[in-house]
Amino acid sequence: MMNDILKKFHEVATCPRMQLEHYTSAGEKVILTSPVYLPEEIIHSMGMIPFGAWGGDLELSKSKEYYPAFVCSIAQSILELGMKGTYKGVTAIVIPSLCDTLKTLGQNWKYAVPSIPFIPMTYPQNRNSDYGIAFTKSSYEYVIQELEKLGGRFSMESLAKSNNVYNEHNKVMRRLNEVLSIHSEITAVQRSDIFKSAYFMKKEEHTVWVKALINELEKRVRNCEKTPVVVSGIIADSQELNQIFDDNNLHIVADDIAAQSRQYRVDVPEGEDALISLAQKFANMDNCSVLYNYKKPRIQWIIDQAKEHKAKGVIMVQTKFCDPEEFDYVILKKACEKEDITLVTIELDRQMCKFEQIKTTIETFRDMLIL
Amino acid sequence: MAVDVNSAKYILGKIASDAYVDAIEAKKRGETVAWVSSNFPVEIPETLGIYTVYPENQAAGIAARGAGESMCQIAEEDGYSNDICAYARINFAYAKIRESKEQEVAMPDVLLCCNNICSCMTKWYENLALELEIPLIMLDIPYNPHNEVSDAELQYVTAQFWDAVRKLEVITGRKWDDKKFEEVKEYSGRSSRAWIKATSCARYTPSPFNGFDLLNHMAVMVTARGKKEAAEAMELLLKEYEENHANGTSTFYAEEKHRIMFEGIACWPYLRVTSRALKGRGVNMVTTIYADAFGFEYDTFEEMIKVYCSVPNAINLEKSRDKRVKLCKNNHAEGLLVHTNRSCKLWSGFMYEMSRQIGEECDIPVVSFDGDQADPRNFSEAQYETRVQGLVEIMETNKEMEGGVK
Repeated sequence: MMNDILKKFHEVATCPRMQLEHYTSAGEKVILTSPVYLPEEIIHSMGMIPFGAWGGDLELSKSKEYYPAFVCSIAQSILELGMKGTYKGVTAIVIPSLCDTLKTLGQNWKYAVPSIPFIPMTYPQNRNSDYGIAFTKSSYEYVIQELEKLGGRFSMESLAKSNNVYNEHNKVMRRLNEVLSIHSEITAVQRSDIFKSAYFMKKEEHTVWVKALINELEKRVRNCEKTPVVVSGIIADSQELNQIFDDNNLHIVADDIAAQSRQYRVDVPEGEDALISLAQKFANMDNCSVLYNYKKPRIQWIIDQAKEHKAKGVIMVQTKFCDPEEFDYVILKKACEKEDITLVTIELDRQMCKFEQIKTTIETFRDMLIL
Repeated sequence: MAVDVNSAKYILGKIASDAYVDAIEAKKRGETVAWVSSNFPVEIPETLGIYTVYPENQAAGIAARGAGESMCQIAEEDGYSNDICAYARINFAYAKIRESKEQEVAMPDVLLCCNNICSCMTKWYENLALELEIPLIMLDIPYNPHNEVSDAELQYVTAQFWDAVRKLEVITGRKWDDKKFEEVKEYSGRSSRAWIKATSCARYTPSPFNGFDLLNHMAVMVTARGKKEAAEAMELLLKEYEENHANGTSTFYAEEKHRIMFEGIACWPYLRVTSRALKGRGVNMVTTIYADAFGFEYDTFEEMIKVYCSVPNAINLEKSRDKRVKLCKNNHAEGLLVHTNRSCKLWSGFMYEMSRQIGEECDIPVVSFDGDQADPRNFSEAQYETRVQGLVEIMETNKEMEGGVK
């Protein structure tokens, strides 16, 4: 049973195209959702399928017509996949303006992939105030209006239901994190599959599968034989990278990965107006490099996670050319030094094909932790 | 040559350098000093009488005087990636060592950040606030992918504007004065109108000025546009350019064979090199987006907010393109030289497509080179020379063909 569940996650995570064709051939309208945060609840409520577009590990070629080399390869690979026709059949892409590169991704998309409409989602950074919430709500209304033009139908009742579907999924993913932190037999590769597959499945379906996995794991005795670590960064879905973690007997007991747990920390609060509640959710979000907070509570959050889970070290997976993470790294480094927590940084790129340097770095890191 | 102390060049230079000295002296007296991002509404600190320092200007100055690399390295030793904006790295270095013979500044009591220029600014000021343990006033003006400033954005930014004022009243102990605000708006408007008119004198052939002059003069538009002396100096600059045209003179001291638009932030560490390669070939950089970037023209409060929501880095590709097309056409640019600036991911991120569209719309050749606004390690003089040479050859061929296929 357990193997079947893990196999399902692996298949979905490693072959999103099959999922996409499954939906489009059934006549579903698929909306691509790019990093880092988007109101998937709205898309879901309008009878469309939110489908994660965080790029892929591939050689960049066509996107170079639009981007210089020193730009984040997540954005470049999203554009590359769009230009290559990999997203053929989708109805639109929604891209937020949460970092400089995402701003340019939307602008380039209009000309590089004209067959797939671009819907911008503009978030405020002073988000947790009445005027910030009002601005978020207004941006959501724009997205709704654009999705309506593409055949979506919006109602507050439907959004309230979708908010609940997403809250339930968040809850299950948080529970999953707790369970995985005491079951090191689930490998880093498998863990990545579970999180990644969430982007390519309907959330209610993913919830069922994750619940089943949790159920299976809870029947087992805890297993904490490997070296516990916390992993942070924007994305860490590379099979090669996770295989290196596994080869070095590392156990991810908590993550601060934007593409993984950061998505599930905050729920839509209860409220009479489902759209305002959804805007309130964004207002409540924090602990992330693309969400403004000059106190950077994210750093303490990582330290707390490391302590709570008795992690022996923290791995910062730095996506190359990602400014927001590069700024936070300096503060994280100082905090880890102060707390005597071992921190290692590895730089990852979507086009990476040689992992020897990362392998050596992680081997050294492991040796430091087990000494 | 004797320095003409009544010239706009001298006066503008003095305003820019006095601003640094004034802030240092104010700090000694115990008055509030703010470090401010370049597109933060100057109306706020100016009205409240807060002394200001603009780290971007300081970093440009440090880089132009040759210390960009050593300062960047100080920040890199602390863990800042060399992929991060070099202005930010230089500023972090200064915040740490608190000295630079290339450009001293007063240390801040408060930080004023507006991210209408880039999201990088948000992260930069977050880190400064933590490192210096001082308050940060964050005015968030989101990137606008639409063609107009929406009512929702107007309300969002307006509310923040007054929030910022209230917070600064508490920090400084000073009260907002509407009369002073009106005065500042008037001076800012006068400075901006004169700046835009002065830069548009490049429409004359030959241009009455060397475009590289703008790179120096714009410092005043960034730091002091709300001051009376800035308004008067900009009006003097306009007058001089008009006189140059009437007299058939120019500050471009060479035969103007070709006219180009320069796109992107200047390569401050290589200002002389980049300028010489053009001038030596009779190429005058007659326009740049700086001409628009720091010209804040408005009458009402609402218009002022909209202007800050519409600065060059906060608008979509089409609006960015159209601004540049207008500058190229109005100033008769015959080519576009694009600086692919390693420090600026936002500016460089859709530059390829925008440049293609400008080239097509204006029917002019487009050439780009790799460089950096402040880190000298990211520039190759040989590549720059080759690219400029290529651009000049195409422009010459175009002229020879006189309307033939370009």
